Amino acid sequence: MMNKIQTISSSQPSFGGVIPPGGLTRHRVVAAWHALAPVLVFVSMLLIVGILNPNYLKPLGISIVTASAAPILFVALGQAMVLNIGSIDLSNAAISMVGAILVALWLPGMGVMGIVAVLAVTVAIGILNGLLVAVTQVPSFALTLGTLGLLQTAALVTSDSQTIYISENRELIAALYSTSLLFAPLTFWIGVFVALVYWGLLSLTRLGLGMTAIGKNERAATLSAVPTLPIKVITYAISGLSGGLAGLAIVAQAGSASASGLGSNLLLPGIAAALVGGTSISGGQTNPINVVFGALTVAFVPIAIQAMGFGAEAQSLVYGLFIITVVALTTSRVRGAVIK
Amino acid sequence: MTQTPPPVLRLINVSRSFGAVKALNNVSLEIRRGEVLGLVGENGAGKSTLLKILAGIEKPDTGKIEMNGVEVKFRGPNDARAAGVGVVHQEQSLFTNLTVAENIEQHAMTGSALSRLGLQDWGRLNREAQKVLDKIGAKLNPNTKVSDLSFIDRQMVEIARAVCIDPGRRSTPLVILDEPTAVLEQQETAVLEREIRKLREFASVIFVSHRLDEILRICDRVVVMRSGSLSSDRPTAGVSKADLFSAMVDGQAEPVIHARQRPAVASKPAVKVTRLSRQGEFHDISFEVHPGQILALVGASKSGRESLARTLFGAETHDGGSIEINGKPVSRWSIRKAVAAGLAFVPAERKVEGIVGGLSSTRNIALTNPGVGAVGPFLRPRTMARVAKDWFSRLDVRPGDVSLPLGQFSGGNQQKVVMAKWLNSDALKVLILDHPLRGLDVGASKTVNAQIRAACKAGVAVILIPDTIEEALEMADDIIVMRDGLRSARHDLHSNRNLAIQDIVADMV
Repeated sequence: MMNKIQTISSSQPSFGGVIPPGGLTRHRVVAAWHALAPVLVFVSMLLIVGILNPNYLKPLGISIVTASAAPILFVALGQAMVLNIGSIDLSNAAISMVGAILVALWLPGMGVMGIVAVLAVTVAIGILNGLLVAVTQVPSFALTLGTLGLLQTAALVTSDSQTIYISENRELIAALYSTSLLFAPLTFWIGVFVALVYWGLLSLTRLGLGMTAIGKNERAATLSAVPTLPIKVITYAISGLSGGLAGLAIVAQAGSASASGLGSNLLLPGIAAALVGGTSISGGQTNPINVVFGALTVAFVPIAIQAMGFGAEAQSLVYGLFIITVVALTTSRVRGAVIK
Repeated sequence: MTQTPPPVLRLINVSRSFGAVKALNNVSLEIRRGEVLGLVGENGAGKSTLLKILAGIEKPDTGKIEMNGVEVKFRGPNDARAAGVGVVHQEQSLFTNLTVAENIEQHAMTGSALSRLGLQDWGRLNREAQKVLDKIGAKLNPNTKVSDLSFIDRQMVEIARAVCIDPGRRSTPLVILDEPTAVLEQQETAVLEREIRKLREFASVIFVSHRLDEILRICDRVVVMRSGSLSSDRPTAGVSKADLFSAMVDGQAEPVIHARQRPAVASKPAVKVTRLSRQGEFHDISFEVHPGQILALVGASKSGRESLARTLFGAETHDGGSIEINGKPVSRWSIRKAVAAGLAFVPAERKVEGIVGGLSSTRNIALTNPGVGAVGPFLRPRTMARVAKDWFSRLDVRPGDVSLPLGQFSGGNQQKVVMAKWLNSDALKVLILDHPLRGLDVGASKTVNAQIRAACKAGVAVILIPDTIEEALEMADDIIVMRDGLRSARHDLHSNRNLAIQDIVADMV
């Protein structure tokens, strides 16, 4: 038994002292790669598929990919914001399910106000999540796993386990999907706009700085007078809002909503898209603009697998291997900290 | 056949470069059996690189290392450990949720206490650990969890871990202590000094410290490094602190203790504490600090002074007494309220509490008081960077790139940025400093102390928890001595200029 577990001291020695100049250059290269990796991964995948089967790069292919990317994108953006503060929101896809069902129920009677009301409800669910996480100090993974269960039940109860078709006012929301710009539906472009807003929030506001500081070192943030409780609540509210928008995108595309229909399995693609977009699962690191490419990549992978001629039974296998590879390529290791 | 034995360690013309920087330039060095060698030098002088080479973490570009007369090449830390080099790191690397014995055993590569079938033989594990602890004279129960130990006891476990490898009868282990006293209280340092004397009976020791008087007291010989070379190598007998200091910084003499004028006492104290108590930490503490005044809180470990400082900042709660800031009593005190009232806190645990290592210096400074770097809720990135650059040049922070993650800077430069973060506010009224010079070299300490004095001059009230009594005497107007959570003495340094360290120590223990 010569091989013992390596100690921290032997693998990560620390003697203080100055940074060798070589280290600075390396840091810059790594940082630049991290900023560009999600884009490069998506573009190279596009090229490979384009060579194998040019049909996928034609307008129809683009509209299919962007349409299926849109709900993933909303969920992934919310998830990225929560991951950024060092927490996770496992309930956000369930929020979008509840949102979709409520839209289908309320749109006929309330029109546009119904949409506003749905978003208000999803934000309120997010605020509740945030308050519970911040006040009870239960790990967010466990807590939102709990709310995930509650929301799934809520989705089944409100929809009476049926598929709800929108009887009236359907045009109010269908336009979001049927209107397209550069071959992509409006829902996708709204997602891009939301990504820009979140990016601005993180890099240009004190609130965003506080969020990232909490994700990187909550104790130091607290001692720097960063208001951690309100910021956590706001972050979960943003996740709730993003979930609500994902719900809108689902209904716009399907014209109906159900607890098991389109969009009922957004949780894992959402997390995958956030990670492929370079978000760190241990907190303090995300770029919403790269999450757009993460969502496109995740939406594109099943199509790419088909284009490469894999059989249906191999798709999950290839998908899994692909996600591992891409996340390994895009994850930031600048922190050198423990990877959770 | 009565040759003198070969030195435990001999470095011959060892060099190591990083890019264009020569971190080590033709260093040759010998350590004899049972010798305690002091190693001093400013941050960046090459100490770290030298230690890393000895620990097998870095490889020399050129030159040879011999141990006990035999040339060695370390491929990694395990090789160095097997050859008998044990390192006690500056930041402790113990597994706090394991027992003392488990920590020691986990480090040893031979004499494993694993029985057949890979099961842990607890009896043997504890016996082996007890042997090592006895050898170094540490009175610790091997079955105690490390998280239950005090800092000095953890240091003992680190030492036990470092010496638990028996490299064979012919050779002597080499123990490297990398700034072990940087975080120790005065009387804990005394324990460590005893320990080093004990170690010398069977090992050679390299002792690294920024505290020159300690080096002179403990070591047989002292080596000074400057810009990658040895600038002085001589027995400690007959060497003065000033000699060492001038060898470190190229000829300048050590600064004299700062002479201060008593500040004009304003009518209203910036901080007034009346009978403040916190269960299990401190009890019935009262004092006032006026603008422009420095109050030092002196005490041994468990004196309660750290908790008192954190309570003033709202990071811990008090259960008795009152705090008044600028004449107004506070209620439901919190960090947010404290900062809004103009309080600032520089914590002792810099990496965990003082900085957000993954954020740039620019953003660390803007985190609390962005000043002109923000308009309402919005940040102004360019202005923020300009503010940071301003502070970098004022405090001589190196390297001078404000966009790099602060965690990559050396401790001294990190501390300068922590100071900048709080000083970047016009509303600063009270500065609370918990061990502000911990782990800093002479140059960085001077910069930080100069900033404290400048803030003071500008009318900020300062509450200082110093590393040493000397630091208190150098900086403070008043000293409060604490013992077991109670105030045991108060000294006004302006009316009592001849106060001696011994007088203060008497109230501490």
